[in-house]
This record gives sequence, structure tokens and C-alpha cells, in this order.
Amino acid sequence: MRMSTEENPAAAPRSLAEALRGRDDVSLAALLRSRPDLITPVPTDLTQLATRAGTRASVVRALERLDRFTLQTAQALAIASDPATYAELLGLMAGDDGDPAVSAALPHALGTLRAQALVWGGDDRLRLVRTARELLAPSPQHPSPTGLGPTVREAGAGISPGRVQEILATAGLPSTHDSVSALNALAGLFDDPERMSALLDQAPSESVEVLERLVWGPPYGQVTADPAPRLRWLLDRGLLLPTAPGTVVLPREVALRLRAGRAHRTTEPVPPPVEAAAAHRPQMVDATAAGQAYTALATVEELLKDWHEGGPAVLRAGGLSVRDLKRTAVALDVPEPVAAFWVELAYAAGLLASDGEADERYAATPAYDEWREEPAGERWARLATAWLAATRTPGLVGERDAKDRTLSALGPGLDRSAAPEVRHRVLALLAGLPEGAAPDAGSLLARLRWERPPRADRTGGGAPSPYARRTPAQPAEGTRGVAARAGGSGAPGYPADGASGAGGEDDLRSRLARWTLAEAEMLGVTGRGALSSHGRALIGAPPAPRRADTRTEPRGPGDKLPVHHRQTPLPPALSPAEQATAAAAAARLLDPLLPEPLDHVLLQADLTAVAPGPLERPLADVLGVLADVESKGGATVYRFTPASVRRALDAGQSAADLHAFLAAHSRTPVPQPLAYLIDDVARRHGHLRVGAASSYVRCDDDAVLNEILADKRAAGLGLRRLAPTVLAARTDPAALLEGLRAMGFAPAAESAEGDVLIARADAYRTPPRTPPEPVPDGPPVPDDTLLAAAIRAVRAGDLAFTAPRKPVGGEAGATPGELPRTTAAETLAGLQAAVLTNDTLWIGYVNAEGGASQRVIAPIRVEGGFVTAYDHTADEVRTYPLHRITGVAELAE
Amino acid sequence: MRSGKLDVWPCSARAEPVAERQPRVNGPLIVQSDKTLLLEVDHEQADDCRRAIAPFAELERAPEHIHTYRVTPLGLWNARAAGHDAEQVVDALVQYSRYPVPHALLVDIAETMDRYGRLSLVKHPAHGLVLTTTDRPVLEEVLRSKRVAPLVGARIDPDTVQVHPSERGQIKQTLLKLGWPAEDLAGYVDGEAHPIELHEDGWALRPYQKQAVENFWHGGSGVVVLPCGAGKTLVGAGAMAQAKSTTLILVTNTVSARQWKHELVRRTSLTEDEIGEYSGTKKEIRPVTIATYQVLTTKRKGVYPHLELFDSRDWGLILYDEVHLLPAPVFKFTADLQARRRLGLTATLVREDGRESDVFSLIGPKRFDAPWKEIEAQGYIAPADCVEVRVNLTDSERLAYATAEQEEKYRFCSTTATKQKVTEAIVRRFEGQQILVIGQYIDQLDELGEHLDAPVIKGETSNAQREKLFEAFRQGELSVLVVSKVANFSIDLPEATVAIQVSGTFGSRQEEAQRLGRVLRPKADGHQAHFYSVVARDTIDQDFAAHRQRFLAEQGYAYRIVDADELLTES
Repeated sequence: MRMSTEENPAAAPRSLAEALRGRDDVSLAALLRSRPDLITPVPTDLTQLATRAGTRASVVRALERLDRFTLQTAQALAIASDPATYAELLGLMAGDDGDPAVSAALPHALGTLRAQALVWGGDDRLRLVRTARELLAPSPQHPSPTGLGPTVREAGAGISPGRVQEILATAGLPSTHDSVSALNALAGLFDDPERMSALLDQAPSESVEVLERLVWGPPYGQVTADPAPRLRWLLDRGLLLPTAPGTVVLPREVALRLRAGRAHRTTEPVPPPVEAAAAHRPQMVDATAAGQAYTALATVEELLKDWHEGGPAVLRAGGLSVRDLKRTAVALDVPEPVAAFWVELAYAAGLLASDGEADERYAATPAYDEWREEPAGERWARLATAWLAATRTPGLVGERDAKDRTLSALGPGLDRSAAPEVRHRVLALLAGLPEGAAPDAGSLLARLRWERPPRADRTGGGAPSPYARRTPAQPAEGTRGVAARAGGSGAPGYPADGASGAGGEDDLRSRLARWTLAEAEMLGVTGRGALSSHGRALIGAPPAPRRADTRTEPRGPGDKLPVHHRQTPLPPALSPAEQATAAAAAARLLDPLLPEPLDHVLLQADLTAVAPGPLERPLADVLGVLADVESKGGATVYRFTPASVRRALDAGQSAADLHAFLAAHSRTPVPQPLAYLIDDVARRHGHLRVGAASSYVRCDDDAVLNEILADKRAAGLGLRRLAPTVLAARTDPAALLEGLRAMGFAPAAESAEGDVLIARADAYRTPPRTPPEPVPDGPPVPDDTLLAAAIRAVRAGDLAFTAPRKPVGGEAGATPGELPRTTAAETLAGLQAAVLTNDTLWIGYVNAEGGASQRVIAPIRVEGGFVTAYDHTADEVRTYPLHRITGVAELAE
Repeated sequence: MRSGKLDVWPCSARAEPVAERQPRVNGPLIVQSDKTLLLEVDHEQADDCRRAIAPFAELERAPEHIHTYRVTPLGLWNARAAGHDAEQVVDALVQYSRYPVPHALLVDIAETMDRYGRLSLVKHPAHGLVLTTTDRPVLEEVLRSKRVAPLVGARIDPDTVQVHPSERGQIKQTLLKLGWPAEDLAGYVDGEAHPIELHEDGWALRPYQKQAVENFWHGGSGVVVLPCGAGKTLVGAGAMAQAKSTTLILVTNTVSARQWKHELVRRTSLTEDEIGEYSGTKKEIRPVTIATYQVLTTKRKGVYPHLELFDSRDWGLILYDEVHLLPAPVFKFTADLQARRRLGLTATLVREDGRESDVFSLIGPKRFDAPWKEIEAQGYIAPADCVEVRVNLTDSERLAYATAEQEEKYRFCSTTATKQKVTEAIVRRFEGQQILVIGQYIDQLDELGEHLDAPVIKGETSNAQREKLFEAFRQGELSVLVVSKVANFSIDLPEATVAIQVSGTFGSRQEEAQRLGRVLRPKADGHQAHFYSVVARDTIDQDFAAHRQRFLAEQGYAYRIVDADELLTES
């Protein structure tokens, strides 16, 4: 895509809008396809489109979708002059010495940036859209991945003119009139390779070391107030410029000169190839994948069969409880993460859902019943297409979300919108390998990271990526070996900077990719790690070239294949219709590989039946009732027990049916012990009968019972003959008696023991009960002591306030109207003494609201921090908390 | 791991994948998800397949059409000990499997097998017994285990650590539990020499017995697995003749001990005086001593007084009969005997207490496993015709059974009167053949003896009387003999063509099957042996019988069930 040819060569565009205006419809369509956010809503004109293309949100999104080299190109443009020439850009990317690979790849990268409307203008005036420039250009807050600092002009703007002239002089440049021209002259010096090397040749070696430390960034350094000579030398010549007190920066021009013009320490013009870890025979891959595909179908069926009679309850927050997941894992005999995958798969395929009742449970949907009737290949295709398109990621189950809630299977918070795209991409990369080749997971992940560098890479390390999880990576799915090599090193030429280490592999896309590999294996899209032919068809990829080419022919199992990398463009995502066609094609390819259902089993004398493969559904259903499953896998082992045979008889089969069934489906004679077992169980089956009846009629004379049964009036009683002398009735005994009496009979009721009940109105009685305890309204009636005290108090009552009194402590009499004050100990002692002596006391009391009062009381008892007393003031018995009593005083005689 | 190497391409034809349906059903083997292997015995490749999987998979069940093998870590390590590698195992599975074998299973097998031999016990010229490793992290891992720490001594170099010779068994047991079984290469002491020769006059070791002895001797110590009646005693005798040293033989009970002695005197140069019996009644210690598990495990005041037997002589070989019944305390003693050669003999490695791993680590890996089918084909063993006769209780008996006390029920239903009629009918049918009637309850047997006019041998019968009756039976002067359970333990119980069990024991199924195997040897005249078990219908008697039969059926003994009425009307 060479944009330069499409743009109007006559007049160079002056803005992005103009550049867009110069494009033809095809290239505009390409722009809108790659940045669909630009047409929601549809812009009114190209100016509006250009404006929208320059908004921050849209640019961020577009930058995030660039591959590593194109992003590096954009980063280089951000630090180049504006506008920049192609030559300048090439110089920044390839360095002064040039790099053929970069030269070859750069036009394509630039083309991509132009197509995405991130860059406009001809090769002589390349402009990065302003927002992108702001995002990518280095600033103290956002260091650039290039590790470059500000230019001399930017960094020197804050320096005093005098200092600038000093620098100029030290650097050996003629002085100028103003700072701007001075800084320009300085920049000119730094840009000139010859003069610059001459300058650096004079530099003391310690100073050169300082420069080398800063050259690849970060370009900022700390200096003390009194810099060392080696720093002083650099500062004096403007090779380091102060930015703030104590901080210096290496100007961009100096760094670029020291880097021989390169904006990046390493560039990666060619995507790292996906290495093949092993090559398998394609037939083997298809067979293994088909086997696994069959297991997938069986597992989903088993899961929903397990949930047949009411699945697990839906958690209040949605999803499956940990316990239910555990139980399901045990039932399916798989590890829990794998069980979560199957559950989510069935959910994504619409085969199970919540029933939406008040007491919400999970259950199979009607679609499941339809699905079951489809041919195996199509059933698989439905699962696989659902998996491809799903944004739900079972790999996250069991982890915690931002609010520290556990993510549960089928629950909320599992959607990751990148998932379908990553799945497609991983499978497409697998499709790029020769047939039967299993990828090296490490190289696959490296490739994916190149195509879409994780955010940690973009910001040049340091800044923590929101995706990056610092927990150690673990292959979440149970399939061992698939992700085993994920931790390996990247492809050759993979940059060693930034977060390419173990931490970098924890970004969401890498995790998604690893899950995709494991899930594809479980689902049978891949077999032994290699994409199967039906998997290839599923993603609509063309069949891989036959390996007639001797160079790629494996020399034996386990050989490392040289994989010739073809830079295939991303295959366009399939439309729903295309996906349906692809799925149908996949189903057609898979069908002949799946084991054909068998119509027979092998019966053995140890009362087992072995189905040496999958069974036809009706056969499997009947056998599932008639016998217990003992082991599963390629074959199924059933065991007949008396209980299982009885279950079949309960399900309405007769012994003859069972014999016929076994004879029909066994290739060998039915073993005698098995036939005997069925007969033996059948002999006793149904021998005893159990039913419900509400009442009965018993009569020694069966003629009378005949008569009752024949009577039309008995129809409502629901009578049925159990034996010649017994009728069972559906009505309760009272109604039955009533009915029979109405018909003119004289029945007698029988007790449970069979005695005739005497129909005498029996008074109804409660079980033994005690009479209710009285609930008194006021306090208990005072006893004699209290009464005596009360009377005495009454007598003394009128004297209460006026009576002269003395405090317990024996101190000088308190003045009337004032509350008595004693210590707590004295109060207690005084009260206790008063109880013993039946004395009346004068107290000060503070109520709950803080109101103080004086009272004359006759204490009755003091216990538990309370004093109970007859209150002369209130004329009743009251209880006062001791701590509220300010003090006591004896009434003076 | 070596995933590349695991990929084996089974079929040579390279067909186009989308071509017409290929026959998919080919191999005789089906790999189940619970790691059992189902082998279709009628398949043309079944024999090859069985040979290929036998080294690492244990035969669990062998009914008529599909045999079940189980792959366990122990089985895989056994295979490693016998010199097989993961590639062979994976090859065997992939080659014979009918359906694609899950990759995860293959990886798991390879990983499991890879764990064996990383550690080995060897004799160090300077430091004595040492544990060395080829994989340093593994050694680090096990040394960090609390259970290993007390068993090892000083670290000699990064890959080697000293082990106290007395902990040789203990450390092997512990390492196995940690999942890193150690290979024992430390060798054996020769023990006190004693000349023993096989007396091969008129008989010879069967080829598979020779092979078993050879494999054992080559491997040093280990277990030989042979089906019932395949002549395990002779393998023991062969091993003794090979070792030519004093031998301690541990057997399950006194009867077995006498049988061993009898066989050894008959088959080897050993004389009666050279063979001692160490049991509850006799305490002889001779160059060859036969001790029972019971006397060894007798505990008095918290100690095992008969333990000194192990140290009483410088034994060169220790033989364990019926290893699958080896009682737990004997394991403990065995742990201290790791420098002596040990041979275990058994019909099955499956233990009901699940201590297979102790057998593996303390006695040794499986050294020989005779294919049952092959031995049968060679005519050395023959399955008997097993018939279960179900008798109906009479109405009054049923009522009595229903009301009987729980502990009386079994006795009640197994001694029902109808059984007598049935037994008589069977005896009539096989008139002229040698018939044994076996029962549990003396009253019943006495009654039967009276009705059949046959002598009854029970616990109280004197030895002389017993011997006389047995001899008469052997000579054919007597054709019917009624024996109690006590008597049928007797070593010299003569062979019979027909055995009728009127009341069984509650005992373990294996014990039962072995007893049958002993009675029902292949007959010289080619007569098929018959085994009748008379069982009362709808009672616990029937439940016990069902248990036994399952075991019989799994061992490949076909059995039938007939109704007593049918049998009575026939005859």
C-alpha cells in the first residue's frame, strides 16, 4: 500500500483533511475499516473525519493496534522534526550505517501509518498527526520508549542568556545576539557528526562514561549543587543541560549523535517467526484431534446429563459456586479449570443456561435437545464456532477481580473482548505452519507480542501495564505439555529491553493465547499441538501446502522444522455467513474421522458389558439404565448389578424385553449368569406392591363389598378392590363413613390397631400444660421490713426537707439546698448502715438527664450497684443506681 | 519432555485424509480415561499386544472377551526396573490402540517412568551405602523432606549422600512414597552357603518356571507372579538351587509350610533333616527353615519374640510365599533385610490393603509375570467347570430365616435341608468319580456323611484316621469324602474331580479362589474338574457367593447358575 502514489502529487496537502480529501474511495474505505470508530456516527464531511481521526481516544486506539515495527516508526517520527523527510526517518530507524532490513520494511510501516491516517504528507513532508506526536513524544512525565530527551531548544529555553553565551564560548562557537540563535548554533554543532566527534575527542574519559550511561535512556540524571569535574565539563559545553535544580538532561541531538542516529536501540523490522517445536504426521494429528473432538462432544453431553434433573443453583451474584464446580469436575473426572472450560463452552454454545425461575438453577436449553440430534461433525462445529466467537474466558475462573471477588464459572466478569481476535490470530498463525507442525509456544507468543506489543512495551518498561499481572504465569488449563515451553526465550532479534521477560508474558493477550492453545487441544481443533485439517477449515484458512517440498519434510519425528516465514496479512475476520460455511466444511472433514457409533456390546460372564467404542444413542440410553458405567474412555465398561437390572424393570422393561435387547446387541451368546441375573431380579420385581390409600372398607362377606362397588352412589368414594374382603378408598375415613351411611350401610370405624372405635364424642384435650405465670403490673408487694420503713418514712416525711441534717462523714453540716457530697465508699457504707439500722437517709441524686434532686429514702437493700429504697419524696419504692448518688447524709434527729 | 520422540507413526500407508472412510477399528487395545486398558482377546493381534503391555500393565480382570489391564506408577516403574523405557511403553499403546491415545496420558506415562532411576542406592568403596542421583534437584528435593532427613547421613558430594545400611529398606519405602523410587544397586550378601540341587528325575522345570528363576536371579530381588496352580513352589525351589545358600521361607500357614517341606524333599537334594519348621508348635532352625507369618507376627508384651529368627542364621535367600497376603509387621522386618536376596511369589500383585508399594520397595519389583493364557494353552493349568446351584428355602425355612438373629442367619441359610438333597443328586450324577464335599458346619457335614454313606473328616478326626481315609480316597477305594473347612486346609488333601461346597466361608475371595485352585488341578486323565457351590436363594449366602463368583469370573473361570429344581429333575 504505497500511499505516496495515491496522493495528489501536484499540491502538497496542508492538513490531514486535505490529505484525506486527496485519497481515493478504496483507501478511505481501508482507513474506515481499520479504524471503525471513525464512522460511528458517520461524519458529515472529511474535515470532521480528520478532526475525529485526530482525537485522543481514537489515536490511542489506532496506536494500540500497530505492530511493533510500525509503532517504532511512529515513535521515531514523533522525535523527528515536523515535518520530516523520508530520509530523516530512515536515518532515525536504520541509523547512520543503514540497515537493509529496516530499509526494506520501512515503506510498508509508513504505508500502514498513512493508511491509518496517523501520518500524512508526502515523503518530503511527513507529518505525524499532532495527537499522536503528543502521545509519543518524550516528556519528563512520559518517557519515550526511544529513551531520548528533549531537544537543545526545548531544554535550553529556561537557561539564562548569559549562561547560554558561556556555553557557546566553551563549546568553541562564536557568540550570538540572542539565546534562540545561540541554541540553534549549539544544535547545529551537535547535529554535525564531524564537529561533534571533534568535540567529544577532547572530552575526558570519565565524562564520556557519563554520556554512555545516559545515551540509551532514561536521559535524565541527578547532579549535586557542586558537580564533579567530569560533569562540569559536559555542562559547560551544553552536552548536558540543566532542567531543574539538581537534574540534568542529555539533549536529544547529543544522544542521537552518540547513537549514530538511531532512535531505537534495536528495531524489529521483521516479525519473529513462529517456530515449529515438533512435526507429526498429519494423519496422526487429525486422528488425535478427532479423538479429542469426540471426547469434547461426550464431555458436554455427560455434563448436561449430569445436570439433567436440575443442575446446580445460580449464585446470587451469578455463576456457579466453587463447590458445584468442584463437584462437576469430579463427575467429569477432570481438573477444575478444565471443568470450567466445558461448562463455559456449553454455555457459549447456548446448550445450557439459567432457568430464570425464582429458585434459579442451571439447566440444558431446548437447543441442547436439537443439538443432540445433529450428526457428530455438526455438533462439534457448533461447539467450535461458539468457542471461536466467545468473549468469555474460562481461564480466568478462580481468579479475583478488581474488587477482590472470585470470578466464578458462568458468572459475570469473564468477558474479555480481545479473546475472539486472539483466538483467530493464534489459529491463523498455526495455519501458517506446515501441516502437522506443532508450534513452539514461546515463539508463538513472541510473534503475538510483536504484532500487538503489550502496553508495557509501549511505555518503554518502567510504567506498570494495567494488564500485567505480577503473579507467576501458570498454564491454567490442565493439558500439560502444551504450554510447557511458554516460558522460553523469544525469537532471535527479540529486543532485550522493556518487559520482554517473564513479567511481560503475563499480559492478557499472551494469557489468552496460551489458553487458546490449551483449549484448542481440548476441543480437538488441534491434535498434538498442530492444527488439524478440520481446524484449518474452521477458521477458513486454505489447506496447508502439501509437504512435497523437501526442505520442509521432517527427517523424523521430533525434528525442528525450518519454517519459512511468509508475511501473510491478517486474514479478514469471517462474516457470520462465511463462518457458517467454514464450520460446515470443518464438520464434513471431521465426520469421517470420528468413530462410528457401534450397535453392539460384548457381554461377559463377570456381569460386565464392554462397548468397544461409542454406542448408538438408543442403545447407549437403554444400557445406561440397565447397567452402571464402570469406566469411560475409548470404550465404555458397564456392570450389571441386581440394582441396575431392577432400575431397568422399574423403567418399564420386562425381563423378556431385556433378554431380547441383550441378544440383539451382543455378538456373543448372552452369558448364562447374566441371563440368570435378569430372571432372578425379574422374578422378585413387583412381587410386593405399594400404593397410597386414605381409608379402607373391610367386610368378611364379599357379597356386601360387591354390592358397594356396584352402587352408583359409591363412585365418589374412589373405592378399589384390593382383596376379596378389602376395598381401598381415596377419601378419608370420616367421608367414607358418611358416604356408606348415606348408602344405607352401618359401618363402624376402626382404630389403627384394628379395634372398633366407639363413636362417642370424645372431648378434645391439650397435652398437660402449666397455668400462665401472672405478669404483675407494679413492683411486688412490699414485705414487712419495707412497710415498716415506709411508715417510718411517712412519719418523718414532712420533716424531710426542713430537718437539720449531717453528712455521714461527720463533717460540718451542709448548707440546706445543697446536694450532700460524700465519697463513693462513704455513700455505700452509709447506705448499707441504713439498711441494717432501718434508718432514713437524705441523698443527692442526679438523673439520666443530668437533673439533680434531693431525696429522702429508706434503703431496703443494696446490691449489684443499686439501692432499693422507699422514697419518701416520691412516696413509692424505687431503685437508684449507686453511681448516680452524689452523697448521703443522715437526717438529724 | 521428549514429546517429539513420543510420536510414533503406526501405519505405513499414507492415505489422503479426505479419502473414503478407512476402516477405523483396527487395534485390539482401548485406552480408558481411568488408565485401564481393555484388550479384546479374540483379536488377531491380541497376543502380540498382550506381550507388549504385560511389562507395565497389571492384569486386573480376565473374563472371556475383554481383559482389563491397569497402568499404575508402580507398574511403570516395574517396567523400568525390568529394563523397559518410556518409548517402548508409548509405542505399545500407540501401536495397538484402536482409538487415538490422549496425548496427555502419553506424556504422563513418560514423566512417571522418567522418575525411576534418578536416584539409586549403591555401594561406595569408602562410605558404604550411599544414595546418588543423576539429577541434582531431585536429590535436593528428597533431602528436604522431613521423612528422608533422619535416614541419611553426611553429604559426600553434591550428588551423593550417605545412608545408614540399616535404613536401606526404610529409605526405599520413603522415596517411593515421595514419588522418586530409588533403584537398589547396592548388591547382596551371599549368606551361608548350603548345597541345594534340583532332583529332576521324571520331571523338569517348565520353561516359564526356568525363565522366572532366571529373571529373578538376574534382577537380584523381586516378585514372581504366577497364576494359581502354575507351580510357584518349584520356582522357589529353583531359586534356592540357584542360590545354594541357607534359605528362610515365609509362608501363610502351617499347612502350607508342610506342603513346602514335602515338595522340597521331593524335588530337591534337601533331606527332611535339613528343613526346619518354625511355627506355633515347632521351633526348628535348620539350613532351610520354613516359618509362618503367624508365628512371626505373634506379639507378646508388645514385642515380637520370634524376630530373632531373621538373625539366627546368615540367610542367603528369603522367600515370601503369597506376597499379596504378607502381613504388615513382616514388612517392617523386611525393611531391615535389604542386603539379602528376596523372592516374592504370588498370583496377584493386587493387595486388598493397598500396600503394593511396600511390596515394590521392600521385596522388589516384578521380575516375572506369566501370561495366564499361555500357561493354560501349554496345558499346565485348566479352568474348572464352576456351577452355582441355587436352592429354594421352604416356606417355613424362609420365615425362620427372616426372624433369625443377624449372626445366625448365615449358618441358618447355609445349612438348609434342601442342600442335602441337591448334594446327593450331584454325587449320584458323578458316581464313580472322586468327589469331595466341603462344608463349614459340622452338624451339616455329619448329616451329609450319614446320607451319602461317606466318612467325615473334621477337626477332631485323628491324624492317623485322616491319613487312612485320604489314602483310601487316593487309591480309589473311597469315592466320596466329606471334609470340614479345617480339614481342607490339610496339605495332603487328595485331588478330586468333583468338589461340592455346601457352605462357604466369609473369607476373602482370593483365599477361596486359591483353595479351589489347589483342589482343582488338571487331571491326568483329561477329565474336566467340576466345582459345585450350593447356595440358598435370596439369602446372604447368595450375596457371599456372588462376591466369590465375581472373582472367579474375573479370573476367567466360566461359571453357570442352575436352579436346584432343574438339577433335581435332571437326575
